[in-house]
Amino acid sequence: MRRALARVPWNRLRGENNEGILVLSIVVLAVVVGSLSPRFWTLSTLLNVGTNSLENVVFAMAVLIVIVSGGIDVSFMAIGIFAGYAVIVLTNATGFGADNAWIGFGVAAVIGLGLGALNALAVAGLRLPTLIATLGTQGIIRGTMLAFIGRKVLPDYPPGIDQLSTTYLVTAHDQIQTRLSVLIIPSILICIAVSLLLRYTLTGRGIFAIGGDPEAARRAGFPVVGIKVFIYLLAGVLAATAGMMHVTQVRLANPYELVGGELDVIAAVVLGGASIFGGKGSVSGTVLGVVLIAMIKSSLVLIGVPGAWQRAAVGALLLIGVSAQALAAASRRRRAVVLTEEPA
Amino acid sequence: MSRLPLEDLRSLLAERSLVRLIAVAIGVFVLFSVLASPYFFSVINFQSMGFQVAEVGLLSLAVMLSMLTGGIDLSIVSIAAVASLVTAQLFRATDAQAATGMLAIGETVAFMAVGLLVGTACGVLNGLLITRVRITPILATLGTMQLLNGLAIVLTGGEALYGMPDAFLTIGTGNLLAVPIPVIVLLLAAVLTAAFINRTGTGLRLKLVGANPVAARYSGLNNDRVLMMTYIASALLASVAGVIIAARSASASADYGASYVLLSIVITMLAGVNPNGGYATVTGVVIAAFTLQMVASGMNQIGWNAFHYLIVQGVILIAVIGLNTLTEEYDLFAWIRRLRARSPDDASPPPGPDRPGAEPVPPTET
Repeated sequence: MRRALARVPWNRLRGENNEGILVLSIVVLAVVVGSLSPRFWTLSTLLNVGTNSLENVVFAMAVLIVIVSGGIDVSFMAIGIFAGYAVIVLTNATGFGADNAWIGFGVAAVIGLGLGALNALAVAGLRLPTLIATLGTQGIIRGTMLAFIGRKVLPDYPPGIDQLSTTYLVTAHDQIQTRLSVLIIPSILICIAVSLLLRYTLTGRGIFAIGGDPEAARRAGFPVVGIKVFIYLLAGVLAATAGMMHVTQVRLANPYELVGGELDVIAAVVLGGASIFGGKGSVSGTVLGVVLIAMIKSSLVLIGVPGAWQRAAVGALLLIGVSAQALAAASRRRRAVVLTEEPA
Repeated sequence: MSRLPLEDLRSLLAERSLVRLIAVAIGVFVLFSVLASPYFFSVINFQSMGFQVAEVGLLSLAVMLSMLTGGIDLSIVSIAAVASLVTAQLFRATDAQAATGMLAIGETVAFMAVGLLVGTACGVLNGLLITRVRITPILATLGTMQLLNGLAIVLTGGEALYGMPDAFLTIGTGNLLAVPIPVIVLLLAAVLTAAFINRTGTGLRLKLVGANPVAARYSGLNNDRVLMMTYIASALLASVAGVIIAARSASASADYGASYVLLSIVITMLAGVNPNGGYATVTGVVIAAFTLQMVASGMNQIGWNAFHYLIVQGVILIAVIGLNTLTEEYDLFAWIRRLRARSPDDASPPPGPDRPGAEPVPPTET
């Protein structure tokens, strides 16, 4: 028995970025909440988690590539709501692409590219610290939207987007109808694409290299400035796409939404094993992190914890996750010291 | 040449940034005195700016302290909310609004002290996470920001608390010899903070740890204790801001002042504080806080709204650091050398590190 246990590759199960621990946490959470509330074991729970995750996972991809490169982004929610809200305003005003939601997504992506260029200019051009740069662009982006594009909540959608917002992939008929938007498909495709980018392309490896050590990456021949520009452009496009997904899903374009909820996504990425110092992180870990946070939020409601606790819960979860990582890193350091002291 | 030329240059630049800042402040003052006349240049307006500037100024001082050690405290606004909510909750629980005379004053002092104490305890939490668990300050304070804000929402159910006695509200709304009391609190806090970082051993250690943590540790400093002190002091300043907020607005709410995180970072950057640690200026922070308050009030008076102000904040932030990075990091020396080459007897070119014979020139502007 002991031998069999010893042969289990614990380190591989744990995963490179704690994916194993996240899966375990998700399973334990499911069992605990499921035993407290039988309503947990229904299709609607799964669909709820999917609905809550599908836009956050795309936001998380934007944050992931920035964090892997050693930065931090707090402007992505502002980019998202700017793009989503602007598309609704533009389409309503001009009628361009009113019948086809995908044109709206294309316009959103172009807007995201432009706003990402602003971040790229601040981070790669002016070499500002990323937190401060993106705090500044967050103010500029949000202020521009609210001052010049609009402040009204818009319930009227152009027909194309309206139709997309009521296109569902699965519908569960439990006590109440729960639906899963068809947008989950592009959301999954984006995750796969980012995963392939990070793993198999030279640019993707460059993102990791810059996060590990920008100077070493430069000497290894990576175009550091070019890759940084690419990172913030891509993050802008991803954030805008996620914002468009959000606006489509909620069917009510509210310019005051999203900004302020950055931490849910950053927490998911950090829980997913990405290191805030850069050079480490994975798409699979990030997706699991997003799912875990979405599950905790919906479980709190299921087991009767008031919604007011959600914010505190995410904060506590982030601190626990980061503490665990920091303590593990500290014990690794201690072990490394012991090893070097041993005679060869 | 006894002193390092680089050091001279740095102090010169520091002085210059202060001079530049004063020039900006005067420019803003004149601009809005003209644009928004006759409203801007009036005693009423100065008083009203005084009431508003204190809370942001205090929060900026808190951010400045954390930046001095090379970290950042994002939880300041949440800590301010916790301090104000605890104070307000105590007033409500004891029905203090009805109290009069000495009892009201006694309760005010006691409950404020409890609020400040609880807020400062949040700083201990930050300090423990950063020094014991070794979480990087951004993540630790991002987490406590969310956690404390969440707890504040739980505590209040997301609603604002009212019912504070007049003795307490005077702190936020009263004048002392026509000077708003919040401004007096801000200036007092600024003087104490300046004395703390410039006149005490702990303050010096703060600067050393910020300038070079490794060197500080090898010189025998207890970095952890210094960082702990930093986040406690930062939380104390944030708590004072929280009490001022509650006393000024006669209410306490979990959601108040979320935009102050950006604003206080803008102020510290405009002041010339180095976000990587080692250099901070209390004078600069106070002047920058007043400058941005003039921008806010002036913009308001010429009919612009809070969202325009948000854009301006972002632009100022990026412009200021962008300018600093561009001039300090790689352009300055080349630029000065070129300048010197073009006009040999130019007024006061500072010495570059490659010109050890050059005389260090004191800042002529001061």
